[in-house]
Amino acid sequence: MKYWLDIKEKLNNNIELASHLLLVVLGAYIFIMAEEYSLYKVPVLFVGLFSWFFLRHKTKHPIIWIVLFVLLILDLSLLYLRVANHHFMLTFMMLSVLLYTYHKRSDILLKNIQILLVVVVMASAFQKLMSNQFMSGDFYYYMFNRGSLFGVFLKLFPESFVVAKSNVQSMITLHITNPNIGESIVLKDLFPNVRSISLIFTWTTVVVEFMVAIAILWKPRNTWTHLLFAMMILGIICTRLEMGFMALLAICGIFLCSNLKLRLLYVLIAMGCITLIVTKIGYH
Amino acid sequence: MPNKQKELLLKYGISSLAVVAIAIQLFLANTQRLNPWKGGGYGMYTGIHYYYNQIYIPGMVVDSMIADNREMKRILGRLKLMPNDQNLVKAAKFVLKTTDKDSIQIQIWKPRVNSENGDYSRELVNEIHFKKSDL
Repeated sequence: MKYWLDIKEKLNNNIELASHLLLVVLGAYIFIMAEEYSLYKVPVLFVGLFSWFFLRHKTKHPIIWIVLFVLLILDLSLLYLRVANHHFMLTFMMLSVLLYTYHKRSDILLKNIQILLVVVVMASAFQKLMSNQFMSGDFYYYMFNRGSLFGVFLKLFPESFVVAKSNVQSMITLHITNPNIGESIVLKDLFPNVRSISLIFTWTTVVVEFMVAIAILWKPRNTWTHLLFAMMILGIICTRLEMGFMALLAICGIFLCSNLKLRLLYVLIAMGCITLIVTKIGYH
Repeated sequence: MPNKQKELLLKYGISSLAVVAIAIQLFLANTQRLNPWKGGGYGMYTGIHYYYNQIYIPGMVVDSMIADNREMKRILGRLKLMPNDQNLVKAAKFVLKTTDKDSIQIQIWKPRVNSENGDYSRELVNEIHFKKSDL
């Protein structure tokens, strides 16, 4: 019982909790990205470590946050077109928290996170609407048949797993040939009615993303909003181990949600994602 | 700066930056053929990943060209991500410099799927014919 009270106390301070989790995600991400342009990062890290060890009690500036933010900006400026989309989101979230350490206004921080989340989810839904390959169901059809969706569960169905492997092998064989000949292959269906299921899944994805974006814009603290948002995150995790992005979405949930049980769910999701990022089982 | 303006800037400045990044991505996607997976427009999983785009150079094996050449890997990787004319010229120049060929043809193909009949084929995205004399 005492443990639950301790957890509850921690959950009550959601800004501190979410900021700490964000710092852990960021640490793991920076570590994974450290090999890129490492020579530029050495002086930043060295000066950062020196300042943190010797000066952290003598300055009001959040040294760790500033150093990690500089590293994110370095990667963003040198690899603008190569970094993943969640690098952008991470940078904006970091900037929000960094500014919060100066202005100390929780309402401003929460507004930053709320609008950023709405922009990200809405943009994702609009990009899907604008893509012919996505809206025709062809993309999910391709992903299902090469075993790239729900891959974690695919091994439980050996027959489907064999079909997916055979499709991938046929694609590799096709790619070895001269594309000017115009050869093509016919993908084998992983299960009956893949096309119909792909179409349903396509529309469900778009509708859920729009619903989440509107709900967060309209009622950012509401329990139903967060039930829908948490379900969306868990749904995405089941389809693909996109842990970096999902950890960030869960941390946004912790910032915004007022229900303690849902906050705990977000914390568990974020911690699970961090574990899989660090062990490289999931994508960073 | 008056307090109200400062507060508005603090509240909506960061999300405005996110919108600017999305606008830049959409601009580059529509004018420079940037793939939706990159550039901060949150267009991941809207189509087949550009990793599966194929660079075809008649008479050459691209996989072995990039195996021990980091710069080649970077230039051809960029071409897959953004197969515009400018990146094609860059790639053609670099390949010609590293080989003894007098001219080169580079094509970018992307996978095409038709869920109605299960057909999986390739579609030409862009190509270039480049001569050493153009260097």
